[in-house]
Amino acid sequence: MLGQALAPKYLGWLVDGLWMTLHVSAVVALLSTLLGIVVAAARSSQRRWLALPAAAFLAVFRNTPLLVQLFFWYFGVSSLLPEGSVEWLNAVHTLALGSYLTLNWPSFELLCAVIGLSLYSAAYVSEEIRAGMRGVVAAQQLAGAALGLTRWQVLRYVILPQAVRIALPPLLGQYMNIIKNTSLTMAIGLAELSYTSRQVEAQTFKTFQAFGVATLFYIALIAVLEMLGQLLQRRQRLAVTGSTRR
Amino acid sequence: MSMQFSVLTDNLPYLLRGAYPDGPLGGAALTVLLSVGSALASAILGLLLGIGLSMSRGLLNFLLAALIGFFRAIPVLMLIFWTYFLLPMVFHVDVPGVLSVMCALALIGGAYLAHSVHAGISGIGAGQWDAGLSLGMTRLAVLRHVVLPQALQMMLPSFVNQWVTLIKDSSLAYIVGVGELSFVATQVNSRVMIYPAEIFMFIGLIYFLLCSGLGWFAHWVAGYFRPAQDKRLLQATTT
Repeated sequence: MLGQALAPKYLGWLVDGLWMTLHVSAVVALLSTLLGIVVAAARSSQRRWLALPAAAFLAVFRNTPLLVQLFFWYFGVSSLLPEGSVEWLNAVHTLALGSYLTLNWPSFELLCAVIGLSLYSAAYVSEEIRAGMRGVVAAQQLAGAALGLTRWQVLRYVILPQAVRIALPPLLGQYMNIIKNTSLTMAIGLAELSYTSRQVEAQTFKTFQAFGVATLFYIALIAVLEMLGQLLQRRQRLAVTGSTRR
Repeated sequence: MSMQFSVLTDNLPYLLRGAYPDGPLGGAALTVLLSVGSALASAILGLLLGIGLSMSRGLLNFLLAALIGFFRAIPVLMLIFWTYFLLPMVFHVDVPGVLSVMCALALIGGAYLAHSVHAGISGIGAGQWDAGLSLGMTRLAVLRHVVLPQALQMMLPSFVNQWVTLIKDSSLAYIVGVGELSFVATQVNSRVMIYPAEIFMFIGLIYFLLCSGLGWFAHWVAGYFRPAQDKRLLQATTT
């Protein structure tokens, strides 16, 4: 049943898929964190015109499946865009920066995958950041205000640096979810790890090997993040005990 | 940009219940069925694994933790591939796609719930265990009559969150061709071709109602039980 190993060519496909998964995950993690900070700040604002849209965003994006959101961006938005723009998006554009670096305009699938995943993940990331912000005691805010900082400055220099530190372990959990959620982008045709594993399976009929290698890759990625989290937590603990001893 | 809603009213019965009663059940009805089935299975599995994780020591504890860690590390989609492929091979029978997806969802949901159950049980103070044991109860009896009743109440929010996730993850059955809501939506979409935004927004709305409906229901249930408990607590602390 287990048969022989996969030919190097097919292993190469899977490694390509792994690279795509890694790239998309990294970009999405970055974008969703930035957006998540904005949403968290808006959600905890005193101004209703900021807090209400943020709450609506959270409710909509957390209570609908990622798959449906991806379909909406992929099929739906292209139908709402003006004619011709989708062709433009699908066409190859390159941007030459200097003589050695050229940027390729991403494919429409990749664009939809990154936008869809970032918005979905931002809804979760922002809640972790908001929980972190609540963990910073209110007295800190008052202290900042007493020093003459504006509300924005208090948020930027006092609350957020501490909130991000508190939120780091749950944030790493969200980044793990992002890696796992990139698998759904195969439904809109992005050639990431799950997509390539299915491709290899269809080509070779070596189901065990194809899915097995992909599964191992996923576990390895998650394990690396898990270890990173343990390392960071240990360093943080050392830093905290170190500073109290001083 | 103009929205067309006739495409929704024309296809509403198909989106809601598939070809039923002339054909197999599908659409939103199958999504509900799939979610309820895997929610129940994941709750049972999560309780068993969580209790196992709390009560076991040594090698068994390590193996359980590794098993749970495995299911938490792989994407739901990957596990659906595995169950879809392995179940018919192991049991030598034709396993319907719905069942293999339900199995995958239950395993992943159970693995996540196991951690919540374990955390809930760990959250009950050692004094409660000692008190039960000193009354001559066995460990199992203390767990059943003293620890779990308190722990389960604390765990309710994690269970509800996990079930909301399950409803959303049931959409992944699309990938193996099970005719639930997302799948029939793509069918309708590729048949009419021209109103994808309307179709997927409407599908999103149905999921939204299912997920937030469960959330509101749980909130109501929790509110229904809380006052009674608070009163009991108040009596216990004042007397």
